[in-house]
Amino acid sequence: MTEFTPGTSEERLVNMGPQHPSTHGVLRVALRLDGEKVLGADPDIGYLHSSMEKIAEKLEYRQYVSYSDRFDYLNAMGNEFCYVRAVERLLGVEVTPRCEHIRVIMAELNRIASHLLYFGAISLDTGATTPFLHTFRERELCLDLFEWASGQRLLYHYFRIGGLRNDLPDGWADKLYQVLDLLPQRFEEYDDLLTRNRIFVGRTRDVGAVSADQALSYGLTGPSLRACGVPYDLRKLDGYSIYPELEFEVCVEQGGDCYSRHLVRTRELRESVKLIRQALDKLPEGEVNVPLPRKLKPEPGEVYERVESPRGEVACYLVSDGSEKPWRMHWRGPSFYNLSALDLMCTGHWMADVVAIIASTDIVLADVDR
Amino acid sequence: MPETTRRPQSAWELLTDIVGGVVSVIKGHGVTLKNLFRKKVTDQYPYRHHPELEWHPQPGYRGDFALIADAERPGGTRCIGCMACANTCPVVAIHICAEGKGKERHPQQFYIDAGLCMYCWMCVEACPVGALTMTRDYHNVEYTPDKLIRDLDDLKRRGEGIAEPEVPVPADKTSMASARKKPAAE
Amino acid sequence: MINFLQNTGAALKDWFIALLNGWGVPDEWSRLIGDIFAWAIGAAWGIIVIMLAALVFIYLERKVAGYIQSRLGPTRCGPAGIFQSFPDALKLLLKEDIVPEDADKLLHLLGPIAFFIAGTLAFIVIPWDQGKTTALGVDLNIGVLFVTGVGSLTMAGIIMGGWGSNNKWSLLGAIRGAAQMISYEVPMLLALLCIVMQAQTMSLTGIVENQHGGLFSWNVIRPWLWLPMVLYAISAVAEVNRTPFDLPEAESELVSGYHTEYSGMKFALFFLGEYGNTYLVAIIFTVLFLGGWQSPFGNPDPLHLPGVLWLLGKSFAIVLVMMWIRWTLPRLRVDQLMGLAWKLLIPAGFLSLAVMTAVILLGWA
Repeated sequence: MTEFTPGTSEERLVNMGPQHPSTHGVLRVALRLDGEKVLGADPDIGYLHSSMEKIAEKLEYRQYVSYSDRFDYLNAMGNEFCYVRAVERLLGVEVTPRCEHIRVIMAELNRIASHLLYFGAISLDTGATTPFLHTFRERELCLDLFEWASGQRLLYHYFRIGGLRNDLPDGWADKLYQVLDLLPQRFEEYDDLLTRNRIFVGRTRDVGAVSADQALSYGLTGPSLRACGVPYDLRKLDGYSIYPELEFEVCVEQGGDCYSRHLVRTRELRESVKLIRQALDKLPEGEVNVPLPRKLKPEPGEVYERVESPRGEVACYLVSDGSEKPWRMHWRGPSFYNLSALDLMCTGHWMADVVAIIASTDIVLADVDR
Repeated sequence: MPETTRRPQSAWELLTDIVGGVVSVIKGHGVTLKNLFRKKVTDQYPYRHHPELEWHPQPGYRGDFALIADAERPGGTRCIGCMACANTCPVVAIHICAEGKGKERHPQQFYIDAGLCMYCWMCVEACPVGALTMTRDYHNVEYTPDKLIRDLDDLKRRGEGIAEPEVPVPADKTSMASARKKPAAE
Repeated sequence: MINFLQNTGAALKDWFIALLNGWGVPDEWSRLIGDIFAWAIGAAWGIIVIMLAALVFIYLERKVAGYIQSRLGPTRCGPAGIFQSFPDALKLLLKEDIVPEDADKLLHLLGPIAFFIAGTLAFIVIPWDQGKTTALGVDLNIGVLFVTGVGSLTMAGIIMGGWGSNNKWSLLGAIRGAAQMISYEVPMLLALLCIVMQAQTMSLTGIVENQHGGLFSWNVIRPWLWLPMVLYAISAVAEVNRTPFDLPEAESELVSGYHTEYSGMKFALFFLGEYGNTYLVAIIFTVLFLGGWQSPFGNPDPLHLPGVLWLLGKSFAIVLVMMWIRWTLPRLRVDQLMGLAWKLLIPAGFLSLAVMTAVILLGWA
């Protein structure tokens, strides 16, 4: 027994996770608490390590595509996008315009699905159960579309090197138009239910704030960085694929706190709907695949390809030695960098804020550990 | 210690905060009330009372496997034991033992470990004779892991009644018919 | 049924006193023991009410939650799943009771019992119907005080459970629960005080009788009682730890708060106590503001319905509203919770008290 001295308090170490309902997978955060005040938060990762990078060295380029779904499983299309773009650049292949359009549609639809899941997760973590099921209801519409086009609901393996698994099925675009008409109404509903709710605003505003300098020094990307006022969006900056031809706004907020991150995502949902509509409207005709040899043997060299995932900058670094398999591959998982600022964000806040902060950084633990 | 509570600077600000907060909370209740009477989306799997609630996967769904029977050889399959599927499988879930030469080569044993498989569809694409396919059967759950290993008989049985491999989009429709331009809804 | 229970209770009491007298117990002692006996029967009545209410409410809660969330809720057990609560209760009874290692076994056991008893006791003084003030005719002249005093005893159960579990999450939940209970007791009492001033009595029966004469004489119609009504509603929800004030449980933060380490029947006691408390505050709200057993069409009731039906109907409506709130709102943070109580509700409580005083001085009440 420690002697109790009036007027003092005792520091207490609490293990949040790996079995905790709000750590979004298997994350362990060692919290140092004084009462309910957080003195420090030390994320302990590695529970979901799956040697994604080593596996790539053992597989041919084509075989790895369906692995790239599996680390950030909420953004499978975006990861495939990144990987196939890297390999295509290594091979020097140009894909057809129709393929590019479909890829962008899919990536943006996946962004909607991912942000909807985020929306549900933060509502659940701040104690409201209902928005979670409402967003899942609409996310299901997106997954139905994915399933129709790619044959699977979560891990699509739809993008192939030099093209796609198949063209869009009949009637798919009409269904997508219906969904696009429905979604903005539902976004308004979510905002009434959660985003504009005074309790939710109180729970997230001024919580977990980081300045732009801090965010840049920690390597935050995606909505976490854009919430600090830095207009860093690879779709605009790099202008890869057909994004330069599409009109959209880079959503930037100034606060840097949980609420700003939340607002960035709610606005991005609407921007993605706009993007999909534009890409669908100008979808060109033609083939979706370019013929490629059975064995892919790129010239020796290296390539770093990055795309904007819902969580930030996901990047793929590939080194080829001229053989059928990559010599080295590396993933830059955005969640890993976003999680690294957890201590900075949490220190000094309440314990209840930690779950809101984890939810607002929107990490996927498989993406952190890879 | 970061400041997390914004203090109202004036009585007016406090009042607007309270009123705005109450209004926002009431709006939220309006949304939930609206949803109380909205159509429910629950799919009562596996107890469906209405046929239209049944979920039918679209063509090209990547479900359980099947080997398609050879029309000319009763009891046999189209498979020629060329190992293309086994070689292309990223997770090495397919094991084949085949005998014979040329056209007469047929598998004696054919195992697919559905527990290992990641349903990437590459084996189906690799098959040169259209023997291996994935069906739209998504009820592929077993009680023990060893039952997940599908053997030759299993695959044949699943392939009964299937004439051609599953294709995502029929070949004649892959052209521009699929996604017509449509004006954005007003 | 009330009549039957009341008569049986009184008869049992008389029989018990006669029995004690027959054994040679002095008269004043036998009366005292007889009273205690009668109170025990009253508590049993409370337990029955809690059990029945909980069975209904668990089903209702799940159904309401499901419908709000575009789900169907329970459908399997009976038509539309109405018997779902019975297998659930059976499951809780049959489940293994796990006590964590190094837990304070006594406190771990006493926690849910204290919680449940505290939730049950207050049902003794509920005025169910006109003239049938309670199951045993116990019309406490300090009914309001008794209800709040006993109701806040649930905190003892929470603290015992949280401390006895030897779990940091549970302890945090228990501390939160205690702080919350203490804070929200104050605005609640201030609101109650206004009602007491209005009715000029602390007896719950008296408060109901003060509102006789139909809908327009209920307290909910009196404008100077609107603020106390809102105060009572908010602090009542906080008092029974329901969203948005479910911080002691706070599933996403504290796993399950003070009942993280409970299973089986002990958990069921917490669960039942919680629903009992929810029902209790709904009934008290009905008694205080919605005229209790009184019909909205005037007194006597033109529909000739028993008063207990009116009471049950109104309180069920209140419970449904509480469910609606629960499935809509996010949870407050602990400092916001305290801020709301001490910076907003308590000043508002004093304000309403002042208004009430003015109303009485002006002779409007």
